[in-house]
Amino acid sequence: MVENIRDDSSSVDVLAADLLRGHTDTIVLAMLRRDDSYGFEIFKRIRDATGGRHEIKEATLYATYRRLMKDGLIEAYWGDESQGGRRKYYRITDAGRAVYRRNMAAWALTRDLIDSLLEADRSPGPHDPAPGR
Amino acid sequence: MTIPNDTVGGSGMDIHRLLDEAFAGVEMTPERQDLKEEVRANLVARVAELSAGGLSGGAAARRAIEELGDVHTMIDGAEPAGAAAATAPWQRRVRPRPDFVLRTVVLSAAGAAGLAVLALAAAVGDVPLGGEIAAGLAIAATAGAVTADTLRQETTGNHPMPAERAAAYGIGVVLAVAGLGGGWLYLRGDGLGWLIGGVAPVLAAVGLLSYLGATQTNRHKEWVVRMNESHAAVGDRFTEDPAAAARFGVYTVVTWLVAVAGFVVLTLTVGWAWSWLALVAGMVVMMLMIARMMFVPRP
Repeated sequence: MVENIRDDSSSVDVLAADLLRGHTDTIVLAMLRRDDSYGFEIFKRIRDATGGRHEIKEATLYATYRRLMKDGLIEAYWGDESQGGRRKYYRITDAGRAVYRRNMAAWALTRDLIDSLLEADRSPGPHDPAPGR
Repeated sequence: MTIPNDTVGGSGMDIHRLLDEAFAGVEMTPERQDLKEEVRANLVARVAELSAGGLSGGAAARRAIEELGDVHTMIDGAEPAGAAAATAPWQRRVRPRPDFVLRTVVLSAAGAAGLAVLALAAAVGDVPLGGEIAAGLAIAATAGAVTADTLRQETTGNHPMPAERAAAYGIGVVLAVAGLGGGWLYLRGDGLGWLIGGVAPVLAAVGLLSYLGATQTNRHKEWVVRMNESHAAVGDRFTEDPAAAARFGVYTVVTWLVAVAGFVVLTLTVGWAWSWLALVAGMVVMMLMIARMMFVPRP
């Protein structure tokens, strides 16, 4: 049984990555909540926050920045680096913070619901059907 | 393993050359140039990280480019076709919350009571100084509280403002109104000290509100942002047609020269009672001209 789970770990990873992909916007907003940042730093923060177990592809992130900017949830400005190309920094807007808070609340609710739904049989509630019925 | 790509400039040059190669054959638009420059800085940072991890310059550059993936998919992803799920504005309607309405009514009543006290003081004059000060402070506090509370609310078009920022706006309004109250007491003959004490908070309020205004970010909802974009696309005849903008400028100057000249002449001949009509006429012509020139009917 333990061996089976280990064999399946790659497919579990794929499933987790699929679930995470739906939250890319919120994850990027979360990374920008503290301070402004640029592409590679955001990429690194996401990678480090998961302990290197997961990363969001850079191409996906570029698309995400464009979409968030179009919706007015983040703003961009160029840094003043002189070496190796100027960095494009992103800043979260008030609208972005509000959307982040709303998505967080929705996620917390979803997580609790799924937890209780998937573990319903493990922790029998007060309405446990009587045996033999 | 040999590294054929190490040039004189080393890895620092490699990455720029590889980026140019990746973008070779891509038709460049300003947006794509922008994306390329953004990618460039990120690649340089990634190469620095890989080099610090022990990879040689050329290998680090190639690895970074490989990780980037295909440029075309990246460009396609960054330029989505764009048609967002369109729900009608009335479906997104956000009604004010009852407790907010109640708070606003109560606070407004308190502020109105303060104003009534000041009006009484001006009309009758037997309100003690302490009463006037208390009334002024009540008006300032309620105005600030209503401002902050309103900014904290979600509306149909706006997201709620973060608490600290809304509170800062509230404080700015309190300072401004309190400062005006000091000026009021000076006008009522309560000494120069009130004027000086009033100017300081007004200056502080101007500073604070200017800072807040300058650092303000978007707080409109997505559909408002998109609607503004589409409106901008409709009304930009002047950017499409600079000649129309120049004509508009000349017409404006002529219109107001005539209107002001008419005003002066009528004032000297007929008198104040009728001369203002010249300015009204100027305004009417101006508005008609804006309507005519900015919004040209589509052929």
